[in-house]
Amino acid sequence: MKNFTIKKLKIRPATIIVFVVAMAFILLMPQVNSGYKMLCLNLTLIYAMVALSISIMLGMGGQMTFAGVTMMGVGGYFTANMTSGRLGFAIPTLPALLLAPLFTALVALALGLVLLRLRGTYFTFATIGLVQVAWSFYSMNKPAFGGYDGISGVPKLDLFGFVPADYNQWFYILAGGLVIVALIIERIRKTQFGRSLAAVRDNETAALTLGINVYITKVYAFAVAGAICGFAGALYAMMNRYISADTFTFDVGVRYIIMAMLGGVNNTIGCILGAVLIGMLPEWLRVLQGYMQFIYGIGIILLMIFMPMGLSGVFLTALKRYRKKKKIKLEHRASQTAAEKGEA
Amino acid sequence: MKPVLRLDTVCKRFGGVIAADNTSFSVLPGEIHGLIGPNGAGKSTLMNLISGIYTCDHGNIYFNEQDITQMPPYERARLGIGRTFQTPRFLQRSNIRDNLLLGTDLSNRFGYTSAFFGKKGDDFESELNKLMQYAGFSFDWDDDISGIPFGQRKLLEIVRSMLAHPKVILVDEPAAGLNNSEVDNVMKLLTVAAKERGIGILLIEHAMDLVMNFCEQIVVINFGKVIASGNPEEVSSNQDVIEAYLGRQRNAQN
Repeated sequence: MKNFTIKKLKIRPATIIVFVVAMAFILLMPQVNSGYKMLCLNLTLIYAMVALSISIMLGMGGQMTFAGVTMMGVGGYFTANMTSGRLGFAIPTLPALLLAPLFTALVALALGLVLLRLRGTYFTFATIGLVQVAWSFYSMNKPAFGGYDGISGVPKLDLFGFVPADYNQWFYILAGGLVIVALIIERIRKTQFGRSLAAVRDNETAALTLGINVYITKVYAFAVAGAICGFAGALYAMMNRYISADTFTFDVGVRYIIMAMLGGVNNTIGCILGAVLIGMLPEWLRVLQGYMQFIYGIGIILLMIFMPMGLSGVFLTALKRYRKKKKIKLEHRASQTAAEKGEA
Repeated sequence: MKPVLRLDTVCKRFGGVIAADNTSFSVLPGEIHGLIGPNGAGKSTLMNLISGIYTCDHGNIYFNEQDITQMPPYERARLGIGRTFQTPRFLQRSNIRDNLLLGTDLSNRFGYTSAFFGKKGDDFESELNKLMQYAGFSFDWDDDISGIPFGQRKLLEIVRSMLAHPKVILVDEPAAGLNNSEVDNVMKLLTVAAKERGIGILLIEHAMDLVMNFCEQIVVINFGKVIASGNPEEVSSNQDVIEAYLGRQRNAQN
């Protein structure tokens, strides 16, 4: 009988490859691109954070939500209000960047406590309502959100004296932020919270009998997802230096979901990849600009038919198959050598 | 001895269907208590009432003489009411490690945040090693849960529920769909749970030989009503039980 001890963290070749590719991407991109291209790439990194927040709710917890875009708005408007001085005071940018996720998490917690009383599809529909209501507030309410004019004059992020001068320098800050978010999500996935969420996703009854408070677990997930969106919104406001309601429409919200679905809703690298693809596709396929909606539409249908778990799902299945084959081969070889020894 | 689980005149109806009708019985610590009855008699409903998935219309449920009738299911699980399902319920897309850790999470309830920042639960490897000897198979931590056979998954679900250190386990048809050696291992595990750990076992099972061999006490229900209870001999000779299972004997004179 073999013994079961939990092995210490084993670093696999795939992990190293991902790490190297990511580092190369982060270091190379600002060297070869500049100006508008770089802005698009930067926005992509912000989208990726929102896509990752969806991966917490939908990928880990199985709760479909459109609220990501709204929570990003909460973080963005909070930052704009706090730092632009339009309310008669202004706090430094770094504290604002740290307070924005906290504030958004609190808003999300309050909303989650109400909305997650609803289950499954009903919850999803309620978040659609939330996005619409929030958008009308963002676009109409002048005192809090600047109305149609939005809020301008948001100062740039001052990171202990380092103020990004152009989009290339912003890229490093955003990439750093994205790495932090990705690490937090990976950590959640590997600890009790992630397991509880997975249990909620797969079977709520079984989760309850395993001592998991299904409702509160969902609410926490909503708050954590909100915090990540708030962080993304704060970074967006500071990079763009201007914020308006156009950024937080339902249409934009749907695009975040597509990013997460394309990359693989339960996979961190996949979500980032999906955000990059969807974010950069209009740039890469500029000749086809008029057909973009059409391409999106067909793409989503094909995606759902042929790879429901996204690009990462296809990749992981292939990887698993390869490892299994390797394992069988090794076992076969071991049994062969054992047999040979027996003969000798 | 104080019963670990006691049902007191529990009633539950679904529309016109009476699923539990004044049901009362109790399970002692370290006792394997059989719950049998024809299909549709209300056995699974009772399980759901005890674990809190359904709420009682009337009557009370006590855990160690503490009234838990109004308690939400997750708190009952934390108190020590474990449960396994007819078809094992695991995280489909996860490996065996995560699935077993889900069981140990239940006994390490220090909260998501502490766990996030690296607080570790109690070691459970030696315990797991012991239990897997009875379960009679081995696995790789990184294997997908869907990659192992059905019988092993059922065994693993019992192991998982034992890793949470429960006081009572509700076991729903553990032998259904298993081959003989797997059934033996299931019974070994349950016997260890009851006799060495003092866990009360409430066992739903259709295989009569198992119930008669392993249970000290048996309660028989039909149409939600307790029609007999006692030790295996008493139950198997009870006229109502024979009728419920085999039908009424036709009298030659009429």
